[in-house]
Amino acid sequence: MNALTNRNNPAVKFYLKYKRIVIAFLLIIFLFILGEVTVSNFLSLGQILLTIKLASFIALFALCQMIVISAGGSGLDLSVGYTATITAVLTASVMDGQNSHLWIAILIALGIGIAVGFANGVLTAYLKLPPLVVTLAMANILQGAINVYTAGANITGKPSPVLRIIAAKSIGIFPNILFLLILVAVIVSLILTKTKLGVILFGTGANETTAYLSGINVKLVRCVAFIISGVLASVIGLLLIGNMGMAFKDMGSNYVMPSIAAAVVGGVSLMGGDGNYVGVILGAIFLQTLTNLLVAMGWGDAGKWLGFGIVLFVLLILYVSNRRSR
Amino acid sequence: MNKTTEKKQTSSFMNNMVKRPEFSILVILVVMITLTALLQKNFFSIKSIVRNINAFTPLILLTMGQAVVIIAGGIDLSAGPALSLLTCVLTFIMKEGSPVTGVYALVITFAAAVLLGIINGIGIGYLRIPPVIATFATSFMWLGTALFIRPTPGGETVNWFNAFYSFRSLENVPQVIRTIGDIIPPALVLVLLGCFFWYILSRTRTGRYIYAVGSSLESAYESGIDTALVQTSAYIINSVFIFLTALFFVGQNQSGDARLGDPLTLRAIAAAVVGGIALSGGKGSVFFAIVGALILSFVNKIIFFADIPYAFQTLVGGVIVIGAIASSRFYTIYNQKVRKKESSLI
Amino acid sequence: MVVLEAKGIKKHFGGVVALADANLICRKGKITGLLGANGSGKSTMSKIISGVYSADGGDIRFKGEQVKYRNPNEAQKNGIAMVFQNLSLVPDLTVWQNIVLGAEEKKRLFLNNEASRIISRNIIDKLLPGLDINRMIYELNPGEMQIVEIAKAVSAKPELLILDEPTAALEQAEVKSLFTYMRSLVEQGVSIIFTSHRLWEVMEICDDIVVFRNGTNAGHIDFETEEKDPEKLIRYITGGIKEIKIEKDRNTLSGNPVLQVHHLSYGGILKDISFELRKGEILGIGGLAGQGQHELMLLLAGNYPKAVCCAELNGKPINLTKPVNAIRNNILLVPGDRQLEGLFLNHPVFTNLIFPKMGLKKQPFITPRKMYKEECERTIARLSIKTDGLDIPVRTLSGGNQQKIVVGKWLPFDVNVLLLADPAKGVDIGAKQDLYAYIIEQVKKERMSVILYASDNQELIEYCDRVLIMYEGRIVSTIEENDINEDRIISASMGIGRTEGERHE
Repeated sequence: MNALTNRNNPAVKFYLKYKRIVIAFLLIIFLFILGEVTVSNFLSLGQILLTIKLASFIALFALCQMIVISAGGSGLDLSVGYTATITAVLTASVMDGQNSHLWIAILIALGIGIAVGFANGVLTAYLKLPPLVVTLAMANILQGAINVYTAGANITGKPSPVLRIIAAKSIGIFPNILFLLILVAVIVSLILTKTKLGVILFGTGANETTAYLSGINVKLVRCVAFIISGVLASVIGLLLIGNMGMAFKDMGSNYVMPSIAAAVVGGVSLMGGDGNYVGVILGAIFLQTLTNLLVAMGWGDAGKWLGFGIVLFVLLILYVSNRRSR
Repeated sequence: MNKTTEKKQTSSFMNNMVKRPEFSILVILVVMITLTALLQKNFFSIKSIVRNINAFTPLILLTMGQAVVIIAGGIDLSAGPALSLLTCVLTFIMKEGSPVTGVYALVITFAAAVLLGIINGIGIGYLRIPPVIATFATSFMWLGTALFIRPTPGGETVNWFNAFYSFRSLENVPQVIRTIGDIIPPALVLVLLGCFFWYILSRTRTGRYIYAVGSSLESAYESGIDTALVQTSAYIINSVFIFLTALFFVGQNQSGDARLGDPLTLRAIAAAVVGGIALSGGKGSVFFAIVGALILSFVNKIIFFADIPYAFQTLVGGVIVIGAIASSRFYTIYNQKVRKKESSLI
Repeated sequence: MVVLEAKGIKKHFGGVVALADANLICRKGKITGLLGANGSGKSTMSKIISGVYSADGGDIRFKGEQVKYRNPNEAQKNGIAMVFQNLSLVPDLTVWQNIVLGAEEKKRLFLNNEASRIISRNIIDKLLPGLDINRMIYELNPGEMQIVEIAKAVSAKPELLILDEPTAALEQAEVKSLFTYMRSLVEQGVSIIFTSHRLWEVMEICDDIVVFRNGTNAGHIDFETEEKDPEKLIRYITGGIKEIKIEKDRNTLSGNPVLQVHHLSYGGILKDISFELRKGEILGIGGLAGQGQHELMLLLAGNYPKAVCCAELNGKPINLTKPVNAIRNNILLVPGDRQLEGLFLNHPVFTNLIFPKMGLKKQPFITPRKMYKEECERTIARLSIKTDGLDIPVRTLSGGNQQKIVVGKWLPFDVNVLLLADPAKGVDIGAKQDLYAYIIEQVKKERMSVILYASDNQELIEYCDRVLIMYEGRIVSTIEENDINEDRIISASMGIGRTEGERHE
């Protein structure tokens, strides 16, 4: 038997299990090489680190998407961007550049996250409204709330120094946010693979009938997935203000679409029930690399979005046709 | 005897009317119009009516297109970016001072619109990508292409293209025609054109099959209907509505804008839902979707005139969308319960 | 004159033979009845003739020409229309729109709704005169939907009409008018293949009857020359009385009742069901397919939150409104559709096996992988599941091994009542034996109690201590110990021995 088709070959086994991650990784390498060939000075440690730094917020938001998508029920959370923004806007003046009020900011963040997530969860899981429309409308509501809050006044306040250190500073050439991302990746991967939460989450997404008949409260799981997503988004809002040094009206909204795209590229099954956060991070890095490359080639914003669209569409075709052939 | 049965019939007709979801939508619309009329001076003057029609037209047209797609069991998240892209294409082809380029622009942009519909249709109908995510992906593609053509808003148009918005600034046109344009705005003609287009279609097999496919894809397939073709047709029909909207905007703004349509996508979906189009497909009327669009538009006007700060607009808009879909959901649950009770009584 | 002749038809699905060598002849202007027990191949035969399936062997001649349809559309264009059991109606269109769907009348480009309405009106007036053709399908009851489905098939003006259990959802009056309509069709020269589980219906309407058993012809009665003898038909269906003596030395009649169910009804599907299950007993649920057996199993497993269920477990009332309640009481379900209800196909064997424990509060938060692994390996050994390790996706396993996983999920539980919904469906013979061997051993050793619904009567005969026969949502008959045989089960299932009034309350 050919070694490459033998299912017992460890390399083949690894590939079969982590197929989409391997694909995402190869795509990133391909892009860097392409960049090095077409634009000079593209492939360097500094460039790679910069890419990862820029990708880290996409990757963090994509964690929200991954959790909601994995729980099934065609879940998506389009409200993460404005959840983060409203947290940043509301906590900016509370912190006002001091560490002493950080804990109040964190409490506010948790409160906002839980409230938004709970509303999304109840409306989608219990009332069975389409997540796409609900979370999009929720984004509008939050955006509106920000507009109301800031109407006629400037957003004042600064992040606490601790947040600045975590989200904006770096140790040597390594940005601190990179360490945070690694820490998050490790924790998330452990929770999803080593605890019963992961088993329940993916089971519910993979087949809700089976999960329900096995004694799982499917609606509750989906509702909690939205709450987790809301809380994460809110905390990311704190990091965002730490990263930018100030809060402004649309600071989070540009990450929403890329975060979904990163989840798809990273191999999160849109049908629910499957996903790997390392893959999602690679997906985010891939999209950031693509953006950098297109910008470096002078294609700018247009090329970035067109590239996003085409890559997504092609991957969807590949993954969906994959599903049908089973 | 005839009289009593007639009476019975009319009363049961009234009963049926009240029971139908359309009835409550119409009541809401009447309330909205009354409120607006109270708040806005000269609401019924020709000038203000024309202004309102111009303000409402884009949402009405996009909602009709979205309604067709949703009835067919899909959704189109790429409608806004597609609109932007079409305005960019139009202004890219037209050259000021060369009237014939306007004709080229019309033909080529229409072909482009159809192409966008076909791409969405192939992804969803033939490749079976879920509509939400397929149009999510294509929306990036349209946005990217639009930015390629026009990184910043701008462009030039031929003079006669103004006719899609107003006859005021048309050159070499008798005063009479300008006056007619003041009373019957071109926007209204575009909406009527869209209505006529759907009216014709709804009388063909395609129109019937759009409902069948949206209601039950499997049953439609078993009945020998080419479901993928029907889905693709729905997206192409939607493209025609987007095309009409693009004509209006270019007539109004004399320029193309790659970000013009973004906020309109959700509003159109929400308007369709308010107008009684079920997101599960197969239910609702495209003409009633217009009522949904009108309601949302009037809400904005009321917010504007009621001295509620403008900042509240998006907030209230979001609340209304969630309220609308939640109430339509409650309505179906309630209806199911009533039906169950009735059937168990039998 | 022969319209359709199917000769030597063979068909198998995976390893399961549905039709071995079956023949069928239909004559012009006659109604041919097709009879047989569950899984005898009559549905498969209908679907092959109407182009849903293609045969593996044999040939079909229609109007003297050899035919081979790739899909139902081709068959319909050629004049063969079939009414399916699973309804193919579009819920949001009206009755008349559905009847002409796919073949609308046209006036140049536009629909000619008036002509379509007239066509529909004409058919419906004969089938169910009271039905308003402008009503939406979703407003109709199942019987009315069935009638519309038949009208839709008839509107294509077929020369051969296949009715696959059309009467299952109908009231008696509707059946009568359907029969009248069938006769009028036959007079116009249409041929009809008619299948039904109700023996008296078949004898009333058919001109001749073909009986299938195990995928081959078991008998043929032509009512023009022979008398209508139900006993003879039953003999054909069961293949004569087989005397199988199976040792059932379990002494179950003395056991205490474990589960008692009193006057259980649910949404018109289950009606006034009462029974008790004793310790160490295998209680069979039999009857024709779709008489509420699946729903009964799902209800006992807590799948219907709104069901009002008066049940007692070991004398204590229990609440069965949530699956988790049933599981905490160790009432455990092996559902009928393993792929849709029992497994996560893309997930590994490991997660599938440990999943039911996740809903229990006492399980540790961090997965004790080693402990679980050992447990899984014991399960695998116990049920002799053939799998290439614990980490491969369940979808790569064979049907039999998948079913073993569904059963194996419950192995670590201290089973009170095991609910088995058709566990041997689509399972190869070896796996089936493994499964039942395990269950019988558990029943003997641990005094586990089992409720077994099986569509194959042979399984009921071999393994059950008592068999309850369900018909239209009721338990119509209880067959005890030594009386359990094919003959008794079939007659009870088909409503033989009951008066007509009882059949149609």
